[in-house]
Amino acid sequence: MSEILTIAEAARRIAARQLSPVELTRAHLARIGALNGKLDAFLVVTEERALADARAAEARQMAGTLRGPLDGIPIAHKDIYNTANIRTTAHSRLLEHNVPAADAHTVRLWAEAGAVMLGKLATHEFAFGGPSWDLPWPPARNPWNTDHFTAGSSSGTGAAVAAGLILGGTGSDTGGSIRGPAALCGIAGIKPTYGLCSRAGILPLAYTLDHAGPLAWTAEDCALLLQAMAGHDPADPASANRPVPHLTADLNKGARGLRIGVVRHFFEDDHRVSDATLAGINAAVDFFRKEGAEVRDIRLSPALDYHAVGYLIMLTEAFTLHAPWLRTRFRDYAEMFRDRVAMAALVTGSDITQAHRRRRLLCQEMAAAMAELDILISAAAPGEAPRIDEVPKWTSMEKPSFTMPFNVTGQPAVSVCAGFGAGGLPVAVQLIGKPFQDATVLRAAHAFESGTAHRARRPALAMAA
Amino acid sequence: MSTDITEAELAAALARNGVSLSPEEVRALLPGARIMQGLISRVNAPLPREAEPALIFTPNQAGQDR
Repeated sequence: MSEILTIAEAARRIAARQLSPVELTRAHLARIGALNGKLDAFLVVTEERALADARAAEARQMAGTLRGPLDGIPIAHKDIYNTANIRTTAHSRLLEHNVPAADAHTVRLWAEAGAVMLGKLATHEFAFGGPSWDLPWPPARNPWNTDHFTAGSSSGTGAAVAAGLILGGTGSDTGGSIRGPAALCGIAGIKPTYGLCSRAGILPLAYTLDHAGPLAWTAEDCALLLQAMAGHDPADPASANRPVPHLTADLNKGARGLRIGVVRHFFEDDHRVSDATLAGINAAVDFFRKEGAEVRDIRLSPALDYHAVGYLIMLTEAFTLHAPWLRTRFRDYAEMFRDRVAMAALVTGSDITQAHRRRRLLCQEMAAAMAELDILISAAAPGEAPRIDEVPKWTSMEKPSFTMPFNVTGQPAVSVCAGFGAGGLPVAVQLIGKPFQDATVLRAAHAFESGTAHRARRPALAMAA
Repeated sequence: MSTDITEAELAAALARNGVSLSPEEVRALLPGARIMQGLISRVNAPLPREAEPALIFTPNQAGQDR
C-alpha cells in the first residue's frame, strides 16, 4: 500500500476489517527500509517485535476484541523512553549500551492499547542541544528537504511522522521539544498540561519543565494518542491525580464561541517571525474569526522574561542531573549539549530561587490573562527550517523561544501546520489552552486543520516511497 | 549584573562546579556565557518581597493532594 493514512482513518478501516494490521505494519517497515537511510529518524527498528504486535492486533481484529483506536497502529518511541529489553540510548555515547529492564509508564500504556511498536527514534542528546555530528548516530533530517533541520529534541519523531514511516510517536517537551519538530516538519504535536502524562521511565532533562506527549500528522491523531498515554501514575511525583478528560468528545464542535487571545507582541515585536509564518498565523486568526470565535490581541510580559526563567531552570536542573558525568566525562557528550548545559555553572543559588519566584508571577499573569479566554495564539517557530548545517550553537539561548513560556506555566500547547514558506518548507501556528483544558486546544487545532488544505500536502520524498 | 564575563571568571565558575576545561575550551564557551549572564540579569530584576517560589515545600511528599 502506498497510501499514508491518519491514525483515525487506519483505526476506522481496522475496525471495519478493511485493513490488516499486519499488512499495515509491513507497509511501514518497507517505508522505513526505503527512507530511513535518507532521514536517520530511527536508531533501532524492532521488526520482529512490530510483526508480533501486529499479529496480536490482527487476532483481536478477527475475534472482535479490538482494544480501541490504537490497536494495530504503527508507532515508535523517542529514544529517551525506556523500553524493556530494547536499547534506550538518549542518542548519547554515555548510554550507548543501556538496556532498560522495564517500559516507561507511557510505553506500557500504548502497548496495552494495542499499538504496534516499530522501534526507537532519534533525539537530540538527552533531549537537548543538537543537531550533533559528534555522536555515535547522525541527527535526523527533515523530510521536506533533507538538507534542512527537523528542530528538536523529538527530531526522529517529527521526521518519521512527516515521512509516513509511522503514524504517531512519542516526544518530550522541556522548552519546545515536541512543538518545535512538529512545526518544522509540518505535523501536529501537543505538549499536554504538566502532570497529565506520567514521566516515569522517561530520561529526565529538567524535572519541573519536562512533559511527555505525542506527535502525529493531525491534531485528531494527537488526541487519540494522548488519550491513551494520559492518566495518574503514583511513580511520577508531578502526576496529576484527576480524571483524564475525554479528548475526542468535543473534537468536532468547531471554533464557534471560542474566546481567543493573540499574543501578537511575542511574534511581531519580541522575536519577529518570518513573513510566511506571520502570514500563516494571521490566516489562522482570520479563520477563527470567520468561524465565529471571539478574537482579540492580548499583552503579556516580554517573551524574554519567560525565556530567561525557563532557560535558567532548565539548564540548572539539567546540570544537576548530569553533574557526575559532566565532571568526569565532559568530552563524551556532544559539543552542543555539554557547552550549553555548562552555562549553568554561572547560576547561583540566589539566581535560581529568583527564577522560581518569577515563574510563579508569570504563571499568575498568564492565568489572569486567560481568565476570559479559552485559547491563546502565538508562533511555534520563527520560520521555515534552517539548513541542518547552519544551526548556531547559541541562538536558541539568545532569541526568546515561542514555546518555553508554556513550559514555564505548564499549559497545554499544540503546534499545527499553518502553510508553507518560500523554500517549500512548512510554517506553523501554536494554540495554547488553560491547564487541563487539553481537549479545548485539540478542538481548536482540529477545527483549523479541517478548515485548511495544509493536511493534503506531504513531503515529496514521502510520496515517492 | 554585567554580561561582560572574562575567561578567568568563567573558568573559575566551571571549576567551582567541578568542571575543569582547557583554556581553549573555556574560550569557546565565552559567547554563550555572555548570553547567559544577560538571562541571569533579567531574572534578577527586583520582585516584590511576597513573591514565593513556584516550588514550595509540601509536607505531603507522597503527592496525594494533587
